[in-house]
Amino acid sequence: MSDFEPVVVAFLCNWCSYAGADLAGTSRLKYPPNVRSIRVMCSGRVDPVFVLDALKEGIDGVLVAGCHPGDCHYQSGNYKTNRKMKLIQRLLKDLNMDPRRVRFDYISASEGQKFADVVTEFVQTLKELGPNPLKGECQ
Amino acid sequence: MTEHILPVGKGGASGAVNDFLKGLLSSGKVKAVLALQTTPNGRSAFPVLVSDPDKMRSDVFTPLMPVSTATILSRITKTRGSDDPIAAIMRNCELRALTELFKLKQADPANLVLIGVDCPGTFDLNTYSNFPGDKDISSAVLDPKEREKFLRSACRSCADPIPGRADIVIGTFGMDLEKGILVSGKTEAGQALLEGMGLDAFKDDGSREKAVSEVREAADRSREKHIAEHSDIKGSGKIADFFESCINCHNCMKACPICYCKECLFDSAVFNMEAHKYVSKAGSKGSFKTPTDTLLFHITRFNHMILSCVQCGLCEQACPANIPLMDIIIPIAQNAQKEFEYIPGRDLEDQLPMIFYKEEEFESVGDH
Ligand code: SF4
Ligand code: SF4
Ligand code: SF4
Ligand code: FES
Repeated sequence: MSDFEPVVVAFLCNWCSYAGADLAGTSRLKYPPNVRSIRVMCSGRVDPVFVLDALKEGIDGVLVAGCHPGDCHYQSGNYKTNRKMKLIQRLLKDLNMDPRRVRFDYISASEGQKFADVVTEFVQTLKELGPNPLKGECQ
Repeated sequence: MTEHILPVGKGGASGAVNDFLKGLLSSGKVKAVLALQTTPNGRSAFPVLVSDPDKMRSDVFTPLMPVSTATILSRITKTRGSDDPIAAIMRNCELRALTELFKLKQADPANLVLIGVDCPGTFDLNTYSNFPGDKDISSAVLDPKEREKFLRSACRSCADPIPGRADIVIGTFGMDLEKGILVSGKTEAGQALLEGMGLDAFKDDGSREKAVSEVREAADRSREKHIAEHSDIKGSGKIADFFESCINCHNCMKACPICYCKECLFDSAVFNMEAHKYVSKAGSKGSFKTPTDTLLFHITRFNHMILSCVQCGLCEQACPANIPLMDIIIPIAQNAQKEFEYIPGRDLEDQLPMIFYKEEEFESVGDH
């Protein structure tokens, strides 16, 4: 399993985490290249179906990152997403998928280092979990 | 709360309730009554909205639930709430679903008087229409042997067969049905309706309460058993197996009182792709089953309705492929509702977990 490279889809809020990821890049911080980033206007834009579809299609892990509590540009997008992700994790448990395949974090525009740390940690966890069992399923 | 006895005469329990409803209409206290009524050929029974007391022919104890009365009341009141009082006779799963629809702003409580009935359970649609004509189906549902054979799986494991949020409760458990039925006014509106109807007061000898707790305990036991028996439907592969024969008709969603979207995402063109994308997807996966969105539809539906699911089993009853949906829905709903400390349909004041948040829970959702 040592050569397994998980595929991660990251939904990043335009106002914070996306800029945080950018900063990580421009600061030349080291983090694993496994992430495919998708910019959203708020973490609240992440419909659970995006996450479920990604997992169903065999993506190994989904990261959603938004503004810190109190900083969401649309007041409560991040709080609601926090709850939505908890519900997805609960469902994954019942479908016997590891809930750690979904991660939600707060990353601000100035937290390039935090972005790099979160991605590094997440990719490490996914390596331990191994490939998404739905990968290659003909569903 | 005021408790009265409704006397039972020649027409039996069902006739007594019918007379009671007729009385409500004639008194002018309500303008219309929505109650279960057998269809002309006796093959089914549907909620019928009656405004003429002479046309009141309800059979509220008919053990059949082809649609949820909650769905009907949503259709009746969604565009605009009622100006006139309407009394609706409902089982507890219908009452609970209606409470969720109120919270979701899909029904308007204005001028609705909710009358709950004790529910011994219901039979599947086909069981009902094929039931031997010489047997009385309303007594069959009380017979342990027939129940064992015919009761819907949702009813075997009913979350609570005794009406909770109602203005009036019609109680049969623990009552001597040859003599009288319990009618209790639970709210001011309910009590006002019962006033002046000349009903005797109910003399409590404890047998009602005893019967109610026995019914609840039996349902709880059967629930635990159900969950234990189906604990093996886990694993993503098994989920795919579970829905193997699903024809993707979305009947489960249409029958569900909680799934209220005007247009379901999965009925839209969102998941249609250009031909070359299908071909390249088949190329990258090697092969894939069509229709392509069956599994995603079910998992997303769980995600949308599971916290409000009242476990009425109408989804399972509507499934043409005979997929035992409650085998998976009961445990998933129970786990999710426990985690969010939410009991759907219990109280209008309990907020829907997905539209509300508490300040102290803002930690990241990561490894746990
Ligand atoms: S689920 Fe419960 S309340 Fe609903 S029909 Fe079945 S027994 Fe009655
Ligand atoms: S999902 Fe099934 S059991 Fe749950 S409320 Fe909808 S129809 Fe009833
Ligand atoms: S009703 Fe049955 S066959 Fe139709 S979509 Fe639902 S589970 Fe599939
Ligand atoms: S604007 Fe960043 S999470 Fe809402």
